[in-house]
Amino acid sequence: MTNETGKNTKVLKENKRKIRVDFERTSLWERIKLKYFSLRFVGRVIFVIFRVVLLLGISFIILSPFITKIAGSFMAPEDFADVTVRLVPRHPTLDTYKAIIEYNHYFDAMWTTAALSLISALVQTFSCCLIGYGLAKYKFRGNKLIFLAVIFTMVIPHQTIRTVLNRTFGSFRIGVFNFSLTNLLGGTPLSLYNTYWPMVILSVTGLAFKNGLYIFMLRQFFKGIPDELEESAYIDGSGIFRTFVQIILPLSIPMLVTVFLFSFSWQWTDNFYVSIFFPSRTLYTFPKIFTVPQPFTEAVGQAGGSMFEQAIKNTASLLVIAPLLVIYLFCQRFLIQGIERSGITG
Amino acid sequence: MTRAAALDAPVKERRKKTVSLDKKKARAGWIFVLPFVIGFVLIYLPMIMESISYTFNKVSWTALTGEYRLEGVGFANYREVLFSNSEFVQNLLTGMQQLVLDVPAIIIFSLFMAVILNQKMVGRAVFRAIFFIPVIISTGIIAEINASTAALNNYASSEVSTGNNAQGSSSATELISAADISNLFSGMAVGGELVSYVVDIINNIYNIVNRSGVQMLIFLAGLQSISPAIYESCSIDGATAWETFWKITFPMISPMILVNAVYTIIDSFTSQNNTTMIYITQQFTKANASSEQATTMAWIYFAIVILIVAVVAGIVSSFIFYQRKDG
Repeated sequence: MTNETGKNTKVLKENKRKIRVDFERTSLWERIKLKYFSLRFVGRVIFVIFRVVLLLGISFIILSPFITKIAGSFMAPEDFADVTVRLVPRHPTLDTYKAIIEYNHYFDAMWTTAALSLISALVQTFSCCLIGYGLAKYKFRGNKLIFLAVIFTMVIPHQTIRTVLNRTFGSFRIGVFNFSLTNLLGGTPLSLYNTYWPMVILSVTGLAFKNGLYIFMLRQFFKGIPDELEESAYIDGSGIFRTFVQIILPLSIPMLVTVFLFSFSWQWTDNFYVSIFFPSRTLYTFPKIFTVPQPFTEAVGQAGGSMFEQAIKNTASLLVIAPLLVIYLFCQRFLIQGIERSGITG
Repeated sequence: MTRAAALDAPVKERRKKTVSLDKKKARAGWIFVLPFVIGFVLIYLPMIMESISYTFNKVSWTALTGEYRLEGVGFANYREVLFSNSEFVQNLLTGMQQLVLDVPAIIIFSLFMAVILNQKMVGRAVFRAIFFIPVIISTGIIAEINASTAALNNYASSEVSTGNNAQGSSSATELISAADISNLFSGMAVGGELVSYVVDIINNIYNIVNRSGVQMLIFLAGLQSISPAIYESCSIDGATAWETFWKITFPMISPMILVNAVYTIIDSFTSQNNTTMIYITQQFTKANASSEQATTMAWIYFAIVILIVAVVAGIVSSFIFYQRKDG
C-alpha cells in the first residue's frame, strides 16, 4: 500500500518536472500567444463583457424607480408644473417629508406596523417551523392530507374569503354560520378589530399571508437534513423535543432567518389584512399614510397636481421602504445562504 | 420470528418498545402539526364553507348583531356573474391572456439570471443583493403605488409623444422605444407575433424582473445542488458550455421548473395588481357592494386557477427528469 502511493507520488513529481521544463523552454511570446490569441479566450472575454453589461442593465432597471422616487421627493409643487425639470429639482425642499411625517402620523403608523410585523413574523417563523418539521420528519396517518391542506391554503387567494374574515374577526367566534362555539359558552361576541389578536391567531395556526409557502420551504429544508442526526441524538438519550431544540434549530438558522425576513417584510408592506383588521381612523397604519397631507391639498388641485400627488405617494412609499432596506442589508447574507441550503426539490 | 418472540419474554418486551417508539414519534408528529390542524379545522374550514355557501344564497345582514339570513337562490349568482355581467368575463379573458404571455417569460428570465448569478465573478454578492431587493419590497402596498406611478407615466408620455412608441412604455423603459425594436426584428425573417411578443416583454421588463425574485432564488438553490463533479467530467469529455447547459443543467433543474411554473401561476393570479384581482377587490369595496356576487366571482376565479395549475403541472411534469426516483 505504502509502496504504491510512494510510486504514485514519484510519477507525479516526474510529470511535474517535465511540465516545468516544457514551460521554461517555450518563450514568453509563445506562451502569451497560446493563452490569449485563442478563439476560446476571445469568446470568454466577449461573454464576460456581455454578462457585466446585462447585469448592470438589469440592476439599473431595478434601481431606477428609486432614483425617480428620490428625485421627486425633494421637489417643490412648482417643479411638477415645469416641464423642463426632469430629475434634478429646481426648488429642493424637504416639505414633502415633513408633511408626511407630521400630518400623516408616519411615526405612529411605523410603530404600529413594526410591532405587528415583529410579533407576527416571530410567531409565524416559530409555528411554520414546527409544522414544517412535523410534516417532514414524522410519518403518521394523515401526514399527506395535512400537507395537501397546507397547499390548499396557499392556493386560495385571500380575497376570496374577505367577507368571511371580516365577519369572523369583527365579532370573534369559532363556528359555522350563525352557530358559534364561543357564544355557546356564554359571553358576547368579542370584537378583535384594532388589536393584534387577529394576526396573532392567524400566525399561530399558520394561516396568515403566504404561510403555506413558508411551511413548504421549511418542510423541504428539513427533509434535506439526514435522519441519522436525530437517530444518534435519540440513542444518546435525548427526547424528541430536546433534539428539535438543541440539534435541529441551530442547524436551520439561515433558513429561519430567511423565513423571518420574508414574513416580516411581507407583513410590513401588507395592506389587505391591515385594512380589514384596523378600520379605526385614529389608529394609524401604513395604508393610511398614502393620503395627501393637509398643507398640500391646494397644490394638488393646480397644474401638475396629479404628478405631485403621485410624488407624495412615492415619498410615503420611500419612507415605508427605508427601515426595510436597512434590515435587508443586514440579513441578505442569511437569505442567500438559507435558500442555497434549502435544496427545494420538486 | 413471531414464535420466538411469543416464547421469549425479554424479546417480546423489546419488540413492544420499538412499536411504542414508532407510536411516540407519530404522536410527536401530531403535536408538531397540531397548531395548523386546530386552525384549519376550527377557523379556516368554517370560513371556506361559509364563503362557498354565500355563492348559492342571497345574504341579508342585520348590522348590529352580525347575524345574517340566507335565502337559497341556487345557481342564480353564478348565472348573474357569468352571463349578465360582461365586465367580469372580459376581465377574466384579459387576465388569462396576460398570464400566457408572462409565465414563460418569467420562468425563462429567472432561469437565465440564476445561471448567470451562479457563476463566479467579481461583485457577485452585490448583484445578488440588488436582484433580490424586489422580493423584499415590491409587494403589497408598494407594488400598488408602483403600478399607479407607471400608469400615470404612461398617461403622461402618451400625451406628450405621438405614434407607435407611446404604447405601453413605462417609466423604467422609456430609454427603449418599441418602434426601434420592431425595426430591428422586422429586418430578420421572423413572424410578426414573435416580434410583438418580444416587444411586449421588453416593455414589461421592469414588471418581469420584479416578479421573478423568488423564482430566481428557487433556481439558484437548485443549481447549487448539482454536483460539480458532473460538470468536471463534462469538461474533460470536451463538452462546450452550450452542450453542458442543455445536457446537464437543464435536465437537473427541470423539477425546479415545475415548482416555479406552479408558483408563478399562483403568484400572478393572486397578486394584488392582477387585473381580475383588482376588479374583484373593487366589487367587495364599492358602495352598493353585493358581497355574494363578489364571492362568487372569487370562487369562479379560484376554480379556473386550480384548473390551469393542474393542466400546467400535468404537461410540465411529463418533461421532468428526476435523478432519484425516491426524491
